Amino acid sequence: MRAIFGLTDLDSGEVRWNGAKIDQPTRRRFGYMPEERGLYPGMLVGDQVEYMGRLHGLSAAQAQVATKMWLERLGVADRAGSKVDVLSHGNQQRVQLAAALVHEPELIVLDEPLSGLDPAGIDDIGAVLVERAAAGCCVVFSSHQLDLVEDLCEWVTIIDHGKLVTSGRVDDLATSGPRRLVVRVEGDRDAAWAKKLAGVTVSEVNGGEARLVLDESTDSDVVLRAAMAAGRVSEFSFARRRLSEVFREALA
Amino acid sequence: MKPFIIVAIVAVFIAVRVTFRFRRHRARAVPSVPPQMPLQTKPPRRSLLVSVFGVVGLVAQREVRERIRGRVFQVGTGIILLVVIAAIVIPVLTRSKSEPERVGVVGTLSAPLRTAVLASADALGTTMTFVSEPDPSTADADLRSGHVDVVIVDAKQVVVATAISAGDTSTTAQLAGAAAQTLGTAAAFQAAGLTAAQANAIIHAKPVSLVGLQPASVSHHKHSPASVFTLVLVFVMLGQYSTWILTGVVEEKTSRVVEVLLAAVRPAQLLGGKVLGIGLVAAAQASMLVAVALGLSAAVGSDLLHGTGPVTVLAALLWLVLGYAFYCWVYAAAGSTVERQEQVQSLAFPLTIPVIVGYISSLTVATTGTPNTFVDVLAYLPPTAPFAMPTLVGIGAATWWEFAISVVLSIASTVAVARLATSIYRRAILRTGRRVHIRELLRAKPTGSQR
Repeated sequence: MRAIFGLTDLDSGEVRWNGAKIDQPTRRRFGYMPEERGLYPGMLVGDQVEYMGRLHGLSAAQAQVATKMWLERLGVADRAGSKVDVLSHGNQQRVQLAAALVHEPELIVLDEPLSGLDPAGIDDIGAVLVERAAAGCCVVFSSHQLDLVEDLCEWVTIIDHGKLVTSGRVDDLATSGPRRLVVRVEGDRDAAWAKKLAGVTVSEVNGGEARLVLDESTDSDVVLRAAMAAGRVSEFSFARRRLSEVFREALA
Repeated sequence: MKPFIIVAIVAVFIAVRVTFRFRRHRARAVPSVPPQMPLQTKPPRRSLLVSVFGVVGLVAQREVRERIRGRVFQVGTGIILLVVIAAIVIPVLTRSKSEPERVGVVGTLSAPLRTAVLASADALGTTMTFVSEPDPSTADADLRSGHVDVVIVDAKQVVVATAISAGDTSTTAQLAGAAAQTLGTAAAFQAAGLTAAQANAIIHAKPVSLVGLQPASVSHHKHSPASVFTLVLVFVMLGQYSTWILTGVVEEKTSRVVEVLLAAVRPAQLLGGKVLGIGLVAAAQASMLVAVALGLSAAVGSDLLHGTGPVTVLAALLWLVLGYAFYCWVYAAAGSTVERQEQVQSLAFPLTIPVIVGYISSLTVATTGTPNTFVDVLAYLPPTAPFAMPTLVGIGAATWWEFAISVVLSIASTVAVARLATSIYRRAILRTGRRVHIRELLRAKPTGSQR
């Protein structure tokens, strides 16, 4: 991600945008939000966002209007006159995003935009990103919380220790692979009943809710019977493959 | 004169107070008038900066705005201003009074003695008038009230308000001493049987001619208050501006904001804008101080404007600009290699050594008025020239072509230093994790060289 902006050198390969190598004028039409927050601690929020807009080629008047608009959109308009370092982490993140979006970039690159946020913050920032994508802007972001981004993304590339694990449309990845069931048996929080079943792998257990991967030969009725024998079944449904499961299964 | 000085000091004090009031008022006003307020007004000068220098101008504009907005800058400027005013006003206040000394006379003082006392006052470079006092007790009262400075009683006794200590060089003390000496000599001559006219001729005897084989080597060099004043000013200001550059670069690197900035602008643009912006603030501040200094000196009649004074002040201003141009690159490059804020101290120390050496050795020359070979050499070395050269100008020991050579050397080396510094900056500013060493940087390829 840093290489897109020339902040680090690639070991191999090159970065292209619309088929052409990236130069400085092209970069000015991109927006970037680094993982380590980068804002002037002593500068006023409004000035800061406006300044970023101007560095990306907005006129003074455009930057003013866009700053006001984005600070309002991200819910930090009342902090425009505050210094950055008095803001909470979540609000700083919102300001950082405003600084990356203020010039309406054609490509937005965000490094871990959702890390360290409360659910409201994740919803707000996620909504803004989806809205940008819907408006025709290319949004690229990284995250360690695979399941969190599943709903946001269209296309995902999973990288582990610098190696490409898998890449594809989220829908394709989620529907590919073996069938899986979500089963909840009341009173058995560890899903001990499922661990004994042949032809079934327990993918994860979450508060009594077991995600089971079925071998091709395994009949789901057999699983249902086993579950009913273990206790009262309160949930039993087929489910899509989660991105975290894609990741784990690809590595296994 | 005194009232004027007091008015000037009070005016500055009020100006500082009002500025703070206004700022505090504005700071309070911000939350109630939320986002639009700080975003609106835009003086045209800033747009000019951007239209002339483009992205570099934008960066410079931010530096100017943030710098001026900062409290450190406002307080610092206020303090320097007060110090400058004090440095000009205090010597004037403590200088010999320009009003004539009033000498009270009790009893009689003959015309030749009066002439002799007047002549001794003249020799001290002061003027005096005689005031007749009816009796000793009135004279004492007048002495105590300050109505007269010295009283001569019956041409036999000289009385002052406060006893004169050995080191007292005030005009009154000198005049009283001279009057006592003159009266004593006159009495002695009289006792020896000389007429008043003969005695007078002896007292005012002309010295014989005094000839030197070689012309005096330092006769044109003179202790100049202006060169000390400007030297201290250059030292303080240059130190201040270098620190701005250093902390500015370090702040951007340690807060990682530099990543976001460099995603949009080139490192050279960012560095250039910073140097330009801080340079503009520095130039404005220094010009303001010099203008105040010159204006105030003219108003109160300070020694600063005598002889080489104005030339020295202007030379110092020029060298402040040249010194800034040289050092800003050095400090920017140094700042880019820092990883954490704490490393700034240890990093800044070696950089200040040439500054200290140049300053101290020039200060010696400025206070004694005698140049030495060491400072003559320092005047041509770009790191120390900002101190040494204006000092030599101040004591009148530099010719115009020596000055010009030094300026050209400084500009040439500034160009070289700027290139080197930009190249170090480009390589170091994005490296994080640990201190970067210069040697390693010069070998390395700059990050983002595919740009």
